This record gives sequence, structure tokens and C-alpha cells, in this order.
Amino acid sequence: MLLQLRNIFKWVQQGGQRVFLLKDINLEVAEGEFISIMGPSGSGKSTLLNVIGMLDTFDEGEYDFLSESVHTLKEKYRSNLYKEYIGFVFQSYHLLDDLTVEENLEMPLLYKKVKGSERKALVADMLDRFNIVGKKDLFPTQLSGGQQQLVGIARALIGNPKLILADEPTGNLNSQQSEEIMELFKKLNKEDGVTIIQVTHSEKNAGYGSRIINLLDGRKI
Amino acid sequence: MFNNNLKIAWRSLRTNRLFSGINILGLSLGLAITIVLFLFISYERSFDTEYEQKKDIFRVLVHTDESYDKQVLCTAPAAVAPALKTDIPTVKKAARILRHGFGETAFVKVGNTNFLEKELYWCDPELFEIFNIQIVEGKSYKALERPNTVALSQSTAKKYFGGENPIGKTILVDNEDHLEVIGVFKDFASNSSISYNAIGSFSSTFAYKEPSWGNSSFETYVQLEPNASVATTEMQMQTVLDKNVDKAGQWFSFSLQPLEKVHLFSAGYVNSYSNNIGDIAEIRNLTFLALLILLIACVNYMNLMTAKSQKRTKDVGINKTLGASSKSLVVRFYAETGLVTFISLLIGIGISALLIPAFNAITGQELQISLLLRVEMLLGLGLFWLITSLVAGSYPAFYLSRSSPKAVLNTGTNSGKGVITLRKGLVVLQFAASVVLIVAVTVINQQLQFMQQQKLGYEPENTIAVTTGGIRGAAIKQTLVEEFKSLSSVSDVAMAQGFPGISVSGRMLFKNENDESGLQLSTNHSDAEVIELLKLKLLAGKTLPLVKQEGDTLIEVVLNKKAIDYLGYSPKEAIGKNVLIGGFGNKARITGIVDDFNYESLHRPIGAYAFHNFRSEAKSFVLMRVKSADLTETLNQLKSTFESVISDAAFEYVFLDKNMERLYAQERKTAFMGLIFCVLAIFVACLGLFGLAAYTAEQRKKEIGVRKVLGASVLGIAQMLSKDFLKLVLVAVTIAFPMAYWLMTKWLQDFAYRVDLGWTVFALAGILALFIALFTVSFQAISAALANPVKSLRTE
Repeated sequence: MLLQLRNIFKWVQQGGQRVFLLKDINLEVAEGEFISIMGPSGSGKSTLLNVIGMLDTFDEGEYDFLSESVHTLKEKYRSNLYKEYIGFVFQSYHLLDDLTVEENLEMPLLYKKVKGSERKALVADMLDRFNIVGKKDLFPTQLSGGQQQLVGIARALIGNPKLILADEPTGNLNSQQSEEIMELFKKLNKEDGVTIIQVTHSEKNAGYGSRIINLLDGRKI
Repeated sequence: MFNNNLKIAWRSLRTNRLFSGINILGLSLGLAITIVLFLFISYERSFDTEYEQKKDIFRVLVHTDESYDKQVLCTAPAAVAPALKTDIPTVKKAARILRHGFGETAFVKVGNTNFLEKELYWCDPELFEIFNIQIVEGKSYKALERPNTVALSQSTAKKYFGGENPIGKTILVDNEDHLEVIGVFKDFASNSSISYNAIGSFSSTFAYKEPSWGNSSFETYVQLEPNASVATTEMQMQTVLDKNVDKAGQWFSFSLQPLEKVHLFSAGYVNSYSNNIGDIAEIRNLTFLALLILLIACVNYMNLMTAKSQKRTKDVGINKTLGASSKSLVVRFYAETGLVTFISLLIGIGISALLIPAFNAITGQELQISLLLRVEMLLGLGLFWLITSLVAGSYPAFYLSRSSPKAVLNTGTNSGKGVITLRKGLVVLQFAASVVLIVAVTVINQQLQFMQQQKLGYEPENTIAVTTGGIRGAAIKQTLVEEFKSLSSVSDVAMAQGFPGISVSGRMLFKNENDESGLQLSTNHSDAEVIELLKLKLLAGKTLPLVKQEGDTLIEVVLNKKAIDYLGYSPKEAIGKNVLIGGFGNKARITGIVDDFNYESLHRPIGAYAFHNFRSEAKSFVLMRVKSADLTETLNQLKSTFESVISDAAFEYVFLDKNMERLYAQERKTAFMGLIFCVLAIFVACLGLFGLAAYTAEQRKKEIGVRKVLGASVLGIAQMLSKDFLKLVLVAVTIAFPMAYWLMTKWLQDFAYRVDLGWTVFALAGILALFIALFTVSFQAISAALANPVKSLRTE
């Protein structure tokens, strides 16, 4: 068992009333799964992903990650946890504009205090694996959207995470680029055993996963 | 990681070239000014710190009683030094100093060459021991015990004797005293309160044989035993005074001023011999000003750094999801600030090197940029760097690094209202200061111009005064006058005791014997031609008689209008009347009345003035009106004429109008400093406004997008964005006007003749500030208005 959510509630106060963003969510994710979260706009997909990624808090319920109870952890330990085990992929890539492709890949390793020589080796491996060696000295703005997302995924993978959280990873890409990215996810999941949770609007993309979770108004249906 | 931080900082500087450039420029300018001010301050504070026994050296101050206006004199009676040394055991050494001719220039003749020496002092030889003055040639300063001996500074010896050995040679001072050179001493440091070119033996002076307790004209330094109590010594000095002067005759008391306070803490004291007197109040103000400038520069830096906060917030968020801790981000922001401040510091040092010559020219200081290379200054600069980085970097580092990784996921961040209010307040203050300075600089310049164009009542242009103070014998002076008269380039010549722009003798004018108060009267012993020469307007009567018969005891006077107004005569009535003037007895008769003229600076109202022919004072100047065709040639002619008549004095002259300008040197200095600070303040205010405008434009990006989609025009949006800032400037102007009015009214009160504070100055300053603000803001406003709304409205 990689993670387990039990009776998760999240709400905001609006005009004296509680507006629920997440309502009684129960979810178990085993290692090696490829899950797609679907639902209309405002159904709480991204919120759920953020809660799983520990970027956002929740108001009620329990959350265990690798048998650590996240809801009792202090902020600092929580962030250590996601640093160690989770990689993020964003719809708009969120590469650091001031850094080259190579340096973007290196960043998470720097924060993990990986030694220089090892860092170089890991970055070189990753560039190789994603076929972007020729682009290593370019800045993000010099790349196409698909290439940027490729770098984004490479960056998420470089810390060797157990879980990849992707928030509409193909939302800004054309169909061909989308397909490539989804194929890549599938390959990562199958061959490397990386657990993936993605938020998506597209039935087709959801089809790449092993399981689909549907949300409506903060509720699992 | 460290390298990486620097790399990221550098990249971020490069991507935002405009912002970084403005930011670095602003910070460099602030630092440059701060560096110059601190150089000046540290130089001023370094005075007299090199002397080994500085802790034990004191200057005797004389505090006069009410009858002498409760002044503090830096000079003491000649009898004080010997008495203190013999009667008070803690006084180890004492030395008196007398300035030659009480401050007059000495004419020094060496062989056949004439020199003017302004820094000749007559001193007790113990001065050499107290201040450890190094003798580099000659046996010992002890030879100065003998009368008619002199020691010269190295540079003076070189000037007088070239490469020759001066020891044993003689110099002739004022054509009277032959002094034997007994030694050469090392030049005084420029930061020494005592700085002499020539030290004559005190035993040569009138005061040596019979030192009096009355004439307080001798600067006196004492060296106390180490650890002696100053308070006790001062009490013992009172005892010594009691012993020598009876209570009724004691118009003064003593105190001891530590050497370290001589330079900076003597501003209000009179009779100081030092040419370079600092003022601790000025130093404190400048320190405050320097710190303020630095602080403003730092705050502007924060303003500009956070202007691009949305991108930065996003970056912080991304980095946090990649595993960055808040700490590592704080370090990164500090690295960026540190880099910027370091670059700014280097540029600032460069700018200050350019500023220093201008600063020196204006203030008459001798600062050198090489002072910066001294260890303590380098440490100081390092400290500067550290403090600036810490202060300027604090806001970006702690404010931005706090933003949560969530910020990446939802855009449209809202920064606190408090922060923006603070920034607005800052911009208002900066603009208010700019407006005050614009008004001040304009008014000061108006006043300076007014003073230059003011009809003075006489014509100082093309009028030269040649010094004849060192020339002995009336006959030879008369020959000089005749020679000058024969020159075609000279139209008028007259001898006089003084001329408008320098002080002459003060006497009292009385209405009659019963007039107890009297009126201050400036009296000038002069030739008859002086009225014509100065082009004074004769209201009635005629000038002084051309020839004065031997044995004629009558004194003729020409009074100005102020004087007869006091006496109650009309100009016509006054002619031929006898007049009571203190010191003239009852023998003065009015021969002529001239219209009032400004014989002093325009700071002071015109008082009573008299030209007279009573032989009480020497006529120390030959005044001449020259034809203006070729002044250099004329001056050469005058010089050669002077030298052909007089072989034993140097040719020293001054133009009357130039001399008048000297009286306004302080105002000129203020105007210049004001201008520099004005430009700086405007620049800094613009930086602040620019930062704020950029920030707001970014904050309102979405709103602008929406408005454009709804049909707003580019112009309309630019107007909307600019209007807010113009409101700020209007607030600033409203604050600034009363302040500027109050300040300048106060400043103008120092002038008896002054310009009116018109509304035009204020209107001008206000409009100028508005235009500058509009110009600064319009860049941001227009670029924000031109931006494609699709970009700002696109959600993810």
C-alpha cells in the first residue's frame, strides 16, 4: 500500500456557510498503479491531487503515506516526505525560465544535496533517456510545449520518486504531443514501476491508466 | 550550491536587464554619495589623531564675562603659559603661538626674491616637544630659544631656497626682521589643526619680555602629566589666575580643551588660528543624511525587487515543489542581493572617485579616493556591503521565500495591503523631498542672481586693490601711486585703508554730547579720489580735500546717507557741519554726502559709513579702476610697475567684484550641494515610483485584460494607471509646499536684501514634479495598456 485516504473533508467558509471542496473521500493507492482522476471543472480534481501531494491541507480525515500518518506530521516532516517520494508534473510545465534544461534537471538533486559527480551522472542519464541531450543548453522558452513537458517529466523523475502526480499534463499540448507524453507515462508505469496519479479531462488519456476515479462536487462517484 | 545561487542570481539580473540596470544604478548612486560623505566624515574625525601624546595635550580656552559678550576665545594671554608651567605640577609643558601680524600676510624676502607667507607663526620651542614635530635638517629646535630665528617646513624651505641647504641662511620678514633659519621640520599632515609653514622664535616677539595678563592673543597648548586630572588642573588654573589678576580685573576664566576636540568642537569659538575648523553638528547631520540616503536606496531596491513578484512567487513555488526549503530560498535571495550590492558598490566607488574632485572644489577639502584603500576603510566598505545586503535583501528574502508551493497552482496572488500603503507612503515622501529641494535650489539661485544684479551703489567691476601693507615709508607709496596713474590702462588711483567688501575700522557716531547710545560707523581712511574711483553718487558737497596741509588738525569726512539720517540732517544741511565721532574728538567736519552703498555683503543692511583723512590708520591698499580691454595685459603692466618701484615686497591684488563673490561662497556651496541632492532625490523618487508603477501594473494585469476585452482603449487604460500616481504626487506637493515655504522664508531671513518668495517658484516645482512623475509612470502604464489581454487572462 502506497497511500490511503480515509474520510477526507476539505472546505472553505463563504458567506457564513461551508462550501465543501472535498467531501468524504476514501482512496487507496497501491504501488505500481496508474490512476486517472476525472470530473467536470470545479469538481475538486486538482484539490485532491494537491492534498495527495501534500501541497495543500485538509480539514478532516486521515491520510497515510507509506504507513506514515500525514495528518499528524508537522509541516517540515511533511515536506521532507514529498521531497523524497513525490515528483510533480504541471499543465504549464513550470520550468524555471532562468535555467537551462540541464540546470532545471539538476535542481531537485541540489536540494537533495546529491554530490556533484553523481548529480552530473544522473542528469546525463536522464537527458539520454529522454533523448534531449542536444537540448541541454537551451532555455525553456526556446523549446516547444511538448519538449518542455518532456523536461518537466524528466525533472519530476530525476529524484527517483515512488509517485508522480500530474495535473493535466497534456492540457497545453496538441494531440500528437499528448500521445507521446501519455505513451511515456505508460512506459514509466509498466517498465519502471512508477506509480502515477493524473488529473485529466480526456477519456482517451484516462484510458492509459489502470483505474479511473470520477469526482463530482467534491465527492467520489 | 553557492556557485549555483550566484549563477541563478546573475541569470535573473540578465533577464530583467532594465530593472537590474535601474536598480544597480540607483543603489550605486546612493552608495557613491554615502561613500563620499563617509570619507569626509572619517577625514574630519581623523584630525589630530596622529600625535603620540594626543591624550595629554590640551588647548587653553578663555571664557570672557558679560562685558565681552561671553565669548570663548581660543587664544589666551601671553603670561598664561609660563605661569601654568611654574605653578601647576601637572602641567608638564606649555607653548604659546602668535600668528604673524594677527593674521596679516607676511612679506618674506629671501635673497632678491619676494614671497607672500600666510602661515608664519611665532612659537615657544616647547611646541616641538608637545606635538613631536620632527626636525629633518638642522641640529635642534632648541635653537629657537634665541630671538630672530625661524624654522621652516620642508616644502617652504624648498620654495624659499630651492635645493640649497637653508640652515644658517637669513630671511627678511616685512622688511624689518632678519631671521636666521635654524632648522627644517617635516610638513604637518593635512589633518592637523596646527599647520604652519614657518615657525619663528617666540622670543622675537613683543610679548616675550613682559608677558601681560591683558592681551588675549596667544593660542596656548599645554601637555599634562599622563593621567593628570583635568578638573583639578582647571581648578589650579583659577588659583593661578587669582594670584596674578585681582578679582575686579578678571574678565575671563579658563578651561582646557582636549586636542581631540579642537577640530570639531570649536565652531562657536572666536580667534582660532586654525584655517580648517570642522563642526560636529555638520558631521552629525551628514552622518544622518548618509544613512538616510543609504536607507532610501535600500528601500527602493526592495521596491524594485518585489515589483516582479508574481514571477518570483511562481519561481519560489516551483522550487518548493522541487524540494527547496525556505532557508535555501532565503540564502538564494540574499545571494542575489549580495551580488547586486557588490556590483553597485564597485560602481559606487567609481562614481565617488568622480564626485570627489567636485566635492573638494566646492568645500575646499582635500579628500583623496586613495583614502579608501586604507585597511579600516576597506573593512568599512565590507561592512557597508554586508549591511546594505542585509537590509535591502531582507524584504525579498523573507517576504518572497514564505510563499507556499500552492502559489504555483493558483495564480492571482494578493499581497498585503499594508505593504502597498507603505510603498505609497515612501513614494509620497520621496516626492515631497524632491519638491522641497526643487523650490530650495530655485530660490537660492534666484537670491544669488539677485545679489549679483543688485545695484550696490558703487561699481566693483574692473576695480583692483593692491596690497601695500608690507611697504614702509609714505614717499615710496606715493611714487607707486604716481607710477600707476601714468599708465594708460588705469583711469583712477586712490589709496585707502580698505574697500567695500572688507571690514574697515569701527567707530561710534554721536548726535551730540548727550547722545549715549550712538551709532556704529565704519570709517575708512582714504584719499579724496576714492569717491570718484568707486563711482559713488555724491548727493551734496564735495569729496575730501585733495591736499592736506601739514599741521591742519581739522578732519574732513564724507558721510553716507544713513549717517546723516541718524544725525537728522538733509544732505544739503549737513555740509560744513561739525560732527562727533568717537576717537576724532570734536574736530570732524562734513564736506560731502554720498548715497548709501552696500559696503558689506547683502546679508546685512547698510549702516553708517565715513571716508575721512585723519591719520589714525595706515592706507594699506592702492585702489585702481582699470580699462577693461585686456585685463591680463593690464595686470602684467601693474605687476612690472609695482616691482620697478618696490623691490622688497610681493605684488598681491584682488578684484573688488571677485572679493564680493567670496562673501557669498557659503550660499554658492549650499546651492551646489542643494542641486546635487535635488537631482539625487528626484532620481531616487523616480526609482521608487517606477518600482511601484511596475508592481501595480503587474498586480492589475488581469483587471487591465478584462477592461480591454470590454472595450477600453489603450489611452484610457494608460490614463487610469497614471492617474493614481499623479494623485500621490499631488499629495506630496501638498505636503511639500508649506515645508518649502517655511524653510526658504527662514533661509531668506539671513539676507537684508532678498528676493520675494513668489508663487511661480512653487508652481514651477509642482509642475516639474508632476511631469517627472508622469514621464516615469507612463512607461509602465503604456506597456501595461498595450499588453495582449489574451495573455493575462489565460488560465491554466
